[in-house]
Amino acid sequence: MTGLGAIGSFGGGRQDLAAALLAGRPHLAAVDRAAGYHRSGGARLAALVGGYDLSPWVPAREGRRMSPPSKLALAAARMALHDSGLAGLAGEDGLPGAAVVISTSFGPASYTEGLLKQILDRPESASPFLFTESVANAPAAQIGIATGATGAGLTIAQREAGPLLTVLRGTAEIAAGRAPLALVGTVEEMTPLLHAVLDRFGALARPGDSGDSGDGTEVAAEVARPFDRRRAGFLAGDGSAVLVLEDAARAAERGCRPLARLLGGGRAFDPSAPPTGWGEGHAALARSLLGGLERAGLTPADVDLIVSGASGARAGDRLEALTLKAAWGERPLPPILAPKAVVGEYGGGFLAAAILAAAGVPFGPTAGFAEVDPELGIVPHRGGPLPAPARVLVSTLAAGGAAAWLLLGAAE
Amino acid sequence: MVTGLGVVSGLGWGVAPFQAALRAGRTGLGAFTRFDHSGHRTHIAAQVPEPPPALAARYPRWRRLSLADRFALAAADEALAQPGLLPLSERADPSRVGVFFGSSTGGMWEGELFFADLLAGRARLALLASQPVSGPGDAVARHLGVTGPVETLSSACSSASLALGTALDALRAGEVDIAVAGGADSLCQLTYAGFNALRAVSEIPCRPFRAGREGLSIGEGAAVLLLEPLDRAVARGAVPLAELAGAGASCDAHHMTAPDPSGQGAAAAVAAALADAGMESGEIDFLNAHGTGTPLNDAAEWRAFERIFGERLKDLPLAATKANVGHLLGSAGAIEAVATVLCLTAGEVHPTPGAGAVDPDLPVQLVQGTPLALAARAAVSTNLAFGGSNAALVFSHAPVGQATTAGRDS
Repeated sequence: MTGLGAIGSFGGGRQDLAAALLAGRPHLAAVDRAAGYHRSGGARLAALVGGYDLSPWVPAREGRRMSPPSKLALAAARMALHDSGLAGLAGEDGLPGAAVVISTSFGPASYTEGLLKQILDRPESASPFLFTESVANAPAAQIGIATGATGAGLTIAQREAGPLLTVLRGTAEIAAGRAPLALVGTVEEMTPLLHAVLDRFGALARPGDSGDSGDGTEVAAEVARPFDRRRAGFLAGDGSAVLVLEDAARAAERGCRPLARLLGGGRAFDPSAPPTGWGEGHAALARSLLGGLERAGLTPADVDLIVSGASGARAGDRLEALTLKAAWGERPLPPILAPKAVVGEYGGGFLAAAILAAAGVPFGPTAGFAEVDPELGIVPHRGGPLPAPARVLVSTLAAGGAAAWLLLGAAE
Repeated sequence: MVTGLGVVSGLGWGVAPFQAALRAGRTGLGAFTRFDHSGHRTHIAAQVPEPPPALAARYPRWRRLSLADRFALAAADEALAQPGLLPLSERADPSRVGVFFGSSTGGMWEGELFFADLLAGRARLALLASQPVSGPGDAVARHLGVTGPVETLSSACSSASLALGTALDALRAGEVDIAVAGGADSLCQLTYAGFNALRAVSEIPCRPFRAGREGLSIGEGAAVLLLEPLDRAVARGAVPLAELAGAGASCDAHHMTAPDPSGQGAAAAVAAALADAGMESGEIDFLNAHGTGTPLNDAAEWRAFERIFGERLKDLPLAATKANVGHLLGSAGAIEAVATVLCLTAGEVHPTPGAGAVDPDLPVQLVQGTPLALAARAAVSTNLAFGGSNAALVFSHAPVGQATTAGRDS
């Protein structure tokens, strides 16, 4: 992994994200409720990109005919190429043979909504432009077009597992000799409609649900509390994260120091999960996790740090905790980071944070965590220095049943 | 090896009605009732008929499933039943089974119903349970009790072909012993209105590669192919139908909606699939083309084929299954893969319905009227999507001694 581009509520780039993670506080903004989709008393806040200026990466003229996710993903891709020292190649000559693998949970939500409004009003008035950019693979396609990446152009839609699956797929493209490098990552757009729907499903942290926030305001009381006894939902987010993947020898040849190395990974499914939530299949998930470690020649004892996808979701965090505990058995768990309480769910902040963790970037205390859930018995990172990790497990369990893991190694 | 097939399409529920219609050159495109389309310029689609009551009764939560989920479950069960893998939990290790699906819109139809209700002041959340694009693949995995990898590709019209390639990777890597690979999509207003807005839809059933073709026709449905290694299939007594020998993918890096007119990107996908299969273009005996019936797609695809097959192209039999079932969008690659396998097993290439002569600028051997008897060694199936996402699959005849001709009589 030789380059990282990330855009979210924290701003843009590695430094902004690292600062937010160290501070351990989310940057939240009020979601526009003017459309009337929300119920009263529901969630009001989200970790939104907001007014972050994308124009240095996607000039206004170029972005004029792109959906918000396309612009975000292209900006993150260019940021990643710049970070890796490859920006110059993604110009006229392009990136021949490079693969692009991008995930999304909900696709270009604002354009889909806009198109549906047109259709419900007058079907014949549907905008061809909105339709073109409403397809889930528009962001991956725009990256391919803009960078001249002519390898496989893939879009994975596997909810919260998607970002890690893109890393596994991009790596597979390189390992099979099908691509010299890969741009992988994720993008999401958190619209008021999507936010309201997640809230109606009871997925989001709500004002007053999770106790005292510390500063006594109703707004600030909307807190995600990963692994906490009082957790009641997650903070929705949006943004994009894109990584440059390339073979270690190729990176070394051009004098590039990687951010992290991929040592292995795994993917699985929990069939006990309902379509909109998490199930009870921790025993089987733990076996799959251990299988992934074994294929990489590792055991749980070799893992120095876990970057968990725990988000504050009641059932999701429970499944995550029970899976980790089942995998580790009697052994003590290594330190656990839960960055979704800072960067929100969706939008790639989690993937980007995991890469930074493997690169040795320091993390602050786990936002929102205060009280151990006796059933889970997990205490995520409370702040303070951690030893530089040699091997990091990244874990994410998706609503609906999918699961994915990455094993990251520190750069050599 | 492909050891099982399942199909739900506008031609009916199951492989049998699908294959019968392919052989007869019959189309499922016509009037449809899913939603009011009076405001559109076009008025045809290939809508899946109501399911046989006995089929729906097999699934206790049938009415709570999205249409795409229902199609996916029926197709998956049919594919697994063929080689005797049901119930899966008793016939295989669920952790060694993967589900690899393609979908473009998942439960969008139900999402549209929800949104219309929401604007009217009420919200039926149950409609959204399977709204995400990952819905059909997840539903299949949940139904079968799969605990291995599950992955949904959503690269528009090449989604299911890419999912089949993903499944092939997982089998070769030893990650799974059995791959349930396919795709599902249902008719919805979004895609119907969208393609109409692009003026890409034909007012009559699509006529791929024919002169005067006016555009595509939209269909819906699901298709599933069961994939497993030859030795494992034979050991279980399953009959290999064909081999998924190779897969390739590329990006045009050209334009969001228009294919690269040079055909270079699509040709790269076909070349990659042939290389992956370890085959030369001369070993390919027929083509199942993406063949949407739009002027630009068919022209670009023809140029891609010409780059690979050269002078042979004009004599290479070609079928375009979309003329039978319409464009199944994210599941197109799966149903066209099934059609390709059926042709290989039956020893014939299915005719492509539609009137009019072949476009003289795109000279191809479009099979018409009746099936063309052909003991083919291998075939290529292609899918070219929005954003220039191209995918190609190479299917070869099952190894000598293992092949079946069951499809010919079914």
